[in-house]
Amino acid sequence: MTIAGPLGPSLAPAIRRNRSLLQWIKPIANWYADVSGYRKVGLKYDDLLVEERPDVQRALERLTPREAYDRAFRFKRASHCSVLHNILPKEEWTKPSEDVRYLKPHVEEVEREELERRKWDSMAVERRR
Amino acid sequence: MLAARASAARAASRIARNFATVVDTAGVKVAAADNGEATSAVTVIVKAGSRFETKPGVAHALKNYAFKSTDKRSTLGTVREAELYGGVLSSSLSREHIAVTAEFLRGDEAFFVDVLSSYLTSTKFTRYELSEWVAPTCEAETTAAFANPATRALELAHNIAFRNGLGNSIFATPGHHLTAEDVKAYADTVFGSGNVAVVGTGIDHAALEKLLEKSLGKFASSAVPSSAPSKYFGGESRLDAHGVSQTVFIGFGAAGAPSAEHAVLAAHLDPTPSVKWSQSTSPIASSVPAGSSVQVVHLPYSDASLFGLLIQGPSSAAVKEAGKAAVTALKAAGSLKGEELQKAIAKAKFTAASSLDGRDGIVSTLGPKILSGSPASLSETISSLEKVDASAFEKATSSLLKAKPTYVAVGDITSLPYADELGL
Repeated sequence: MTIAGPLGPSLAPAIRRNRSLLQWIKPIANWYADVSGYRKVGLKYDDLLVEERPDVQRALERLTPREAYDRAFRFKRASHCSVLHNILPKEEWTKPSEDVRYLKPHVEEVEREELERRKWDSMAVERRR
Repeated sequence: MLAARASAARAASRIARNFATVVDTAGVKVAAADNGEATSAVTVIVKAGSRFETKPGVAHALKNYAFKSTDKRSTLGTVREAELYGGVLSSSLSREHIAVTAEFLRGDEAFFVDVLSSYLTSTKFTRYELSEWVAPTCEAETTAAFANPATRALELAHNIAFRNGLGNSIFATPGHHLTAEDVKAYADTVFGSGNVAVVGTGIDHAALEKLLEKSLGKFASSAVPSSAPSKYFGGESRLDAHGVSQTVFIGFGAAGAPSAEHAVLAAHLDPTPSVKWSQSTSPIASSVPAGSSVQVVHLPYSDASLFGLLIQGPSSAAVKEAGKAAVTALKAAGSLKGEELQKAIAKAKFTAASSLDGRDGIVSTLGPKILSGSPASLSETISSLEKVDASAFEKATSSLLKAKPTYVAVGDITSLPYADELGL
């Protein structure tokens, strides 16, 4: 499910469990997030998740109205940057503290529900008294 | 033959044996009796009806949150597992109570009692369930109910008669926005140990108590939800509706504990025949035009009651004629005595006793009694019916009719009669 799932495969959980590995890799990860440039057009990481899939669409319906509005605003602003072939001024870049994975918990919940539905659909039931 | 009946006390006890002794377990009142039924059923009754709601419609939403995801199981898990066991889960709402019921085969008590207890203790009240399931269900139930003019008339009648409290509608209307937090807050106030009773049929008392202790555990105690004592107001209202039968509701209410005299009056006026395809001997039955119907509505609540006549017909003229006949019969009913009075008392006793006939009847009649702390039997009701005499009946009827009537007309309001045209 992880590879075909909306969040893609990830070594992050394994790295986070190992303290010294985390100490070395975290600065590289932070540098990579900065350099990839999504923050420079005012986006958050979860705005980049592939949304053209039914499970992510269900997760998107679970956002609060405010979160949904802010997401639409960020897309509009980033599209405008794309049209202007430019990035935002430095004050408007997403700060690392603001770059919270707001959609990931919903996606994981939908994924869990989907797995549970498949489990119930295909389980073999045996009556034991 | 009729004169030589057994003494009243023996008759009362023969009709209404105690259903079961009520025991306090984990803070909730439990009554269960096993009479050898093929299946078992457990019903949890909470004093959380629309009367106690903090926001309009929140009781309806709370009732529809039954069997949604809890800490232990998701919604899908609850439904699928119940289906695999072959059980039936249902929830209902009345003006004073929410009841959740599980019916299942003997031997499956552990799972179903756990499902019912987790509704009380650990429902998650998630936002997405409200928007995906609970709200559409509430809307569908409201639309289906309001397609019936009699339901609309009764809801409006309660609103006019009692205003707040008992006047709150049991249906959530689209005008009032609710969030999952509102429903959770309401649940936190009503789901408490002083407020819950459990009724079991086809299940052993001791087994039910043990399962409840295990699954409810340390059930937080909460104060009984406050509701101002009901007062009766009365008034008149008209509601436009087309494509439905013309409906008029004439009601009289009284604050205070429901009285046996009202039940006798209802039995006297009720035009339902005791023998099918015949005409009842009720004073209303002979004077109602063909095609119209008059139903007697007697709704006793814990501290108020509403007594009324629901008149329906194909046209406003028919309803006017039936309404005049019904009001005349109602006004003349006070002078009931002798054999007629005995006939009405007998009919009322039968109605009361047969309300315990089925599982649903046991729960809806005895559940509120158990919840309010009275013993689980109808003996008090039956004996108070037997004690009704002509003078008490006359007094009760005249004081009922002295109150301001509640008059609701649903249908073509340009032609439906007004209250004074019917003699009220």
